[in-house]
Amino acid sequence: MSRRRFIQTSAAALGGFTLLPSGVLAQAGRPGANERLVVAHIGVGGMGNVHLGNMLQFQREGKVRIAAVCDVDESRLRDAVKAAGTDVEPYRDYRYVLQRKDIDAVLIATPDHWHGVQTVHACESGKHVYVEKPSSVTIEEGNAMIASARANKVAVQVGAQGRTGKGAWQTCRAIRNGIVGRVRRVECWHYANPVDENPVPDSDPPAALNWEMWLGPLPWRPYNPRYCPGVFRWFLDSGGGQIRDRGAHQFSTILWCMNADQQTSFTVEAKGTPPTKGLWDCPVDMEVVYEFKNPDWTLVWGQPGNKTGKTEFGQTFIGDNGRLILEWEGAYRGAEPDAINFKLPPGGQEVYRTAEYEDFNMNHKADWFKSIREGHLRPAVDIEIAHRTATLCILGNISYILSRKLVWDGQNQRVVSDDQANRLLARPQRYPYVL
Amino acid sequence: MKPTLSSTAISITSVAAAIATGAASSAAVETETLLKSIRSRDEKVRCEAWQNAGAIGAPAVGPLAAMLVDADIEVARAARRAMETIVHHAGRPGAAAEAKAVETELVRLLNHDSPVIRRAAVWMLSEIGSDESVEPISALLGDAPVREDARCALQRIPGDKSVSALRSAMKTAPEDFKYAIAESLRKRGQNVSDYPTKKLAPTLPTQVKAAPSSNK
Repeated sequence: MSRRRFIQTSAAALGGFTLLPSGVLAQAGRPGANERLVVAHIGVGGMGNVHLGNMLQFQREGKVRIAAVCDVDESRLRDAVKAAGTDVEPYRDYRYVLQRKDIDAVLIATPDHWHGVQTVHACESGKHVYVEKPSSVTIEEGNAMIASARANKVAVQVGAQGRTGKGAWQTCRAIRNGIVGRVRRVECWHYANPVDENPVPDSDPPAALNWEMWLGPLPWRPYNPRYCPGVFRWFLDSGGGQIRDRGAHQFSTILWCMNADQQTSFTVEAKGTPPTKGLWDCPVDMEVVYEFKNPDWTLVWGQPGNKTGKTEFGQTFIGDNGRLILEWEGAYRGAEPDAINFKLPPGGQEVYRTAEYEDFNMNHKADWFKSIREGHLRPAVDIEIAHRTATLCILGNISYILSRKLVWDGQNQRVVSDDQANRLLARPQRYPYVL
Repeated sequence: MKPTLSSTAISITSVAAAIATGAASSAAVETETLLKSIRSRDEKVRCEAWQNAGAIGAPAVGPLAAMLVDADIEVARAARRAMETIVHHAGRPGAAAEAKAVETELVRLLNHDSPVIRRAAVWMLSEIGSDESVEPISALLGDAPVREDARCALQRIPGDKSVSALRSAMKTAPEDFKYAIAESLRKRGQNVSDYPTKKLAPTLPTQVKAAPSSNK
């Protein structure tokens, strides 16, 4: 019997979702297995609104209660209050949210430079966390997030939905069971980072935006309309470009398919073409090559790369016996027919995924709820797994910034023999927005 | 006439001096070319120039810094990227002498009138600064516009000297700044019993009101 079937059967025998007596988990701030989670949203812009929509659906199903929404931009906050409905408290400062003992969990969808600090603070406040990808912008942040999640016994799910996505799951079980033989190389393709064709000078921030709080842990700089909203993505300081955005999705799925979460050491060499003007500094085109050992394989981030599929981004698994493509990250789009139709060989290795909702965003959150309900606190993209993925993205950018190859010692979380690179693994945060 | 030892020594000295002068002239020419390209109205010329600034190194640091506050924002940005490229190039393994030379030039900038230039220099020193940078950076802990950047740089520069500098600053810093310095010391593994963290203390209320309750 597969693990998935086993869990389904067990859950049915026990009358639904409950796998542990509710009293085991019920304590102050920690819901019992049959109780609704009380949730709050920190960051209600682009993806934040998607999460709010998901939680409204879960609320209709009786699984959560939305208690608060928070954003440093009061125009977005007003919109979120309207969308969230009655009995939802608005905040501008997420620390008010974290002070509330009645809130069990938070969903963090702020710009990337906030993910680490807010997740650590939420964990220290006893809240379960759903945080957008990439999990962090520095190695120091990622390690701090893991430590605080474990110390405070909370579930931290990172929003790389591939690992609960049907297409990625089908591809993963096919790859792991030899559909193309031993995979020696995985090549990503992705369209370029944008260039700011109309740079503007610094200016005063809009009245609704608190610039000090938007910057948070970043070193001080004056406001410029090219920082936000949404375009923080194109700064190495914050979004880190496509490699940290979609790369966080694609690398997560790839490591899953390759069963390579434990291959934490590798070399990385990046090259890229910078934009010729504007405030954004992420490379327009980029190629990053990662080499893993034992087993040996190569991962290539291509921007644009070698596009073998039909859509904007994806990856090709190149094995001894053929190739298998996966478009996007395996959540938004489906798998190739060969993967869909793949039959596990005798003695093959099944792969587990939560499959409660067709909608991949809902399903990924259901997986998070499940890890809380079942008490193991290890969702599909647990913070430690997400940190392994983010490490690839972060080091790819550091290699690009320094224009040199890096040798990453995953065991010790250090770059071998490169003091300057090691200093870039952490960026001291502006007080009081510290880890 | 047979060359004497002293005339040979003079010749060697003269040649060495000529080489040094030549090298300095070459560096000056390269720097001038770089600056001219950074000022170009052609964005591709600027971009190529800053990407290749690494090899020019320390001689270009001061002149580039002056351009960080240029009225043309794209010139200022290109100058900054050129400085960063120099810092990244000089920080590579096996280039200690280059790093030292760049560090020396960056330290000179810590006294500049412009806080933009002082701030940029502090962060660049955080990447390659040694014990030599600690005292000059520490002096900026009392410089309001850049004191927070100086604290961050001292937190990042390894070694006992930067820790000592932070400890000393706890005695003299304004009371409100001691909380931040205490944070840096804790990050460096030091015990600080006073000045507990304020990281979880909210400070920014909202004017936005909740939707009216459905309960009557």
